[in-house]
Amino acid sequence: MTGKHRIMRLPAGWLIVFGLVLAALLIYVSTPMAAPKQVKSAKPGDCAACHGQEKVFSPSHVDTKAMTYKDCLGCHEKAGPQKLEGKLPGSHIHQLGGITCVKCHENAKKEEEVTMDKCVVCHNADKLAEKTAKVKPENPHTSPHYGTTLDCNLCHHQHKKSENFCAQCHKYDFVVP
Amino acid sequence: MNDDAQQKKGLTRRNFLKSAGGVAAVAGMAAGGLAAGVREGSAAAGSMPKKWDGTYDVVIIGSGFAGLAAAMEAKNAGASAVVIEKMAVHGGNSIINGGDFCAPGTKLQKEAGVQDSPDLMYNDMMKAGLYLNHPELARTLADQAKDALEWCENYVGAKFTRLNFHGGHSVKRANQTVNASGSELVNKMLAKTRALGVAVQTRTKMERMIADKDGRIVGIEVKTGYRFPDEKSGKTAYIKARKAVILTSGGFSNDIPLRRIEDPRLTEKFESTNQPGATGEALLAACMAGAMDVQMDWIQLGPWTSPDEKGFGNVPLFCERLVGYGPMIDPVKGKRFFKETGNRKERADAIILLGHPVIIMGDSYAVPKQVFPKALEKGLESGAVKKFDSLEALAKNYAMPVEAFTQEIARWNSFVEKKKDTDFDCMIFPDAKPTVTPPFYAARLWPKVHHTMGGLVIDKNAQVIGFDLKPLKGLYAAGEVTGGVHGAVRLGGVAMADCVVFGRIAGRNAAKETARG
Repeated sequence: MTGKHRIMRLPAGWLIVFGLVLAALLIYVSTPMAAPKQVKSAKPGDCAACHGQEKVFSPSHVDTKAMTYKDCLGCHEKAGPQKLEGKLPGSHIHQLGGITCVKCHENAKKEEEVTMDKCVVCHNADKLAEKTAKVKPENPHTSPHYGTTLDCNLCHHQHKKSENFCAQCHKYDFVVP
Repeated sequence: MNDDAQQKKGLTRRNFLKSAGGVAAVAGMAAGGLAAGVREGSAAAGSMPKKWDGTYDVVIIGSGFAGLAAAMEAKNAGASAVVIEKMAVHGGNSIINGGDFCAPGTKLQKEAGVQDSPDLMYNDMMKAGLYLNHPELARTLADQAKDALEWCENYVGAKFTRLNFHGGHSVKRANQTVNASGSELVNKMLAKTRALGVAVQTRTKMERMIADKDGRIVGIEVKTGYRFPDEKSGKTAYIKARKAVILTSGGFSNDIPLRRIEDPRLTEKFESTNQPGATGEALLAACMAGAMDVQMDWIQLGPWTSPDEKGFGNVPLFCERLVGYGPMIDPVKGKRFFKETGNRKERADAIILLGHPVIIMGDSYAVPKQVFPKALEKGLESGAVKKFDSLEALAKNYAMPVEAFTQEIARWNSFVEKKKDTDFDCMIFPDAKPTVTPPFYAARLWPKVHHTMGGLVIDKNAQVIGFDLKPLKGLYAAGEVTGGVHGAVRLGGVAMADCVVFGRIAGRNAAKETARG
């Protein structure tokens, strides 16, 4: 008996079962890697709307479905150890605060990068620099190189982890929200 | 940056997207080969695009001192121009440079009573360059540096307020910007360039030069929306240069594979003072289009950088203001080992030969008088510069033999009194005083890769020369991407002069070319 014959004799039903198991396995393996859907109509506190079954919270976390940013602040004080800045992607904090996708991406049909002029409507660059004047070792919002004109998006990514642009040349250990 | 975004948007929409469909097929073909990067040999200047996405008289690659000087001069000579920059931000190394512009016979020199001349500057450059400098280029720089500086002050509006010394020069001739940074000049150049109506388009990387059948450079292939260092990012587009392309893409100090080919010692063990985009693919793309390179293995290490901070840092500003006022010490022996005011190469080689970091130091007379307050403050804050109440405490911190060290300081002080160093012939400035006043300040030094002297061959008109030893028509170059100006060693403060002098020449000459098509 050769292997070939044995496979040929397997009922079609077994192949289907095998295929399903394989597919389930693939889905299971790839789930943590899969990017969440970006559902524009989702309520900001409704994690499952975009993340599906992915566990984004510890089991003891309260239900956030109906929450706004203000409600979050009840536990996650702005400057406190539980603060959300740096923990949640910027887009989520924006969402929770009522700054929905379309408020930045005006043309919701086409994915387009948001330019800095959008950011400064709410986040005035000079005022930001004043606010962070005492941050050590340097004020992250102004520099001898670019003044206050450096593009917000170079550090504060909204849909991926933010980065410390200064760190490519400087030993500044900023925590970038 | 608002402007940048707008300019970029404007340019992209108006000139690129309009015809993007038309070039898609060609772009697809070309991009397929190019995705692997310029190095893979696909950048030969061959195939002509079916359609250009943008057309200008002059296309400038790089947005540092040289590129912006070229853009302004080209525009003022009546040419339309565009500046492309591969990085997300403008300014390249110019925006992180120390702001020292060497020129002979300047206002600041006159105020300080310094006698100088283009001949003296030329001789200093040639001597430091081991006479490998292309004399015509060094001469052009020395002769035109003062005029270039005055153009930066009067036309661009940059402020130069202090006169500094750099090792290897016979006099103080470095005119320092008001904020001790090249940003004072490059940001004002950028504002002026834009005010003239020249777009500066960031995240746009030149992939190859495009030549016609006679070998003349007629345009470039770029990637727009490029995200350094992701070679897969960006979209292919073609920009036509009706008159000329000007390459001002800087040096390759941060290009480890290329610098290791030219100088195998310069492995990843050596850090660089440069911005991360200081890589050599644009220079090599020009070579693939027929441009000749020269003296590529003369790569400069800064002898004044610290292993205790990243990049250029604050220590160079501390060290270079102190040479000629305070001693440089080998901590293993507690003794001096080399001429503090020697040129960069001599000093870096001497430190590398010792094989360990050395100390530069000064007392409370020299340091507050010489060192830019912010640099000192920041150096102290980061710990790269340290402050000590006594010479003994300083010696102890660096594990130096205390007695040998204090004796050496006494010896140094005797040289300072006599204004003559009989050990190493260090230049001692007239206002230098013995190192006696506590507290004392010190920093460790270990060289970092700083400047690549070699690059494209140009003539005094900034015209690039090809491998047939004839002008490579349609291509000009200026600044660190060129070679020959400095020979073996670029003296401190001469890069700004180099970029502005030859950038201006390139811009003016490119504008004079006959427009084609």
